[in-house]
Amino acid sequence: MNLFRSEEHVERWLAGREPGATIPLTQLVMLAFAWWSDRLAPGWRPHTRERNQAILDEVGLTGSFWSLP
Amino acid sequence: MDERDLRLRGLTYGLFVELGRAPRADEVAGAAGTGRDEVLAGWRRLHDVHALVLDGSGTELRMANPFSAVPTPHRVHADGRSWHANCAWDAFGICAALGTDGRIETSCPDCGDALAIDVRDGRPDAEGLVFHCLVPAARWWDDIVFT
Repeated sequence: MNLFRSEEHVERWLAGREPGATIPLTQLVMLAFAWWSDRLAPGWRPHTRERNQAILDEVGLTGSFWSLP
Repeated sequence: MDERDLRLRGLTYGLFVELGRAPRADEVAGAAGTGRDEVLAGWRRLHDVHALVLDGSGTELRMANPFSAVPTPHRVHADGRSWHANCAWDAFGICAALGTDGRIETSCPDCGDALAIDVRDGRPDAEGLVFHCLVPAARWWDDIVFT
């Protein structure tokens, strides 16, 4: 899970491998804050699968690639 | 995950933040007033439910997500300290978890160019960069270190 200068850099780095998913930096940061912001909270409890899937949905990451097990 | 393991997890994470590196089991045991073996047993239970990740020996932390116990290309500076993150997603997650602004330093895996992003109030100051996730969500925990 890496940052790249652009989609062209992703394609070159993949070198023919099957791609995963590419999203803009702004969307990644939205995801990171929604996913991790409670991680150091005193009352932290593990997220359920449903909660994590809802976070992905809320930041626009839908479809089979983003479907949690 | 019972209350005992939640306390152990909280203590482990707290020391990770304070030290700027992964705490050793004896350091956590000292802070908890318990034995090293008890900490290792608790860490194993937390590892089994993906609340942290142990290394191959089972005696040291590999990840306390989003923090990395080993050096990575993803460095986070915030509040006058710094940590390694497991990936680019986790790098921003450290700012989120700390509830603070910060600076992410990483590099483009294709060209090797250094990338530095300041995060202010939950927003990045850079434009045009993209994030690539190679592994589908259904398989993230098949091999979390590779993911």
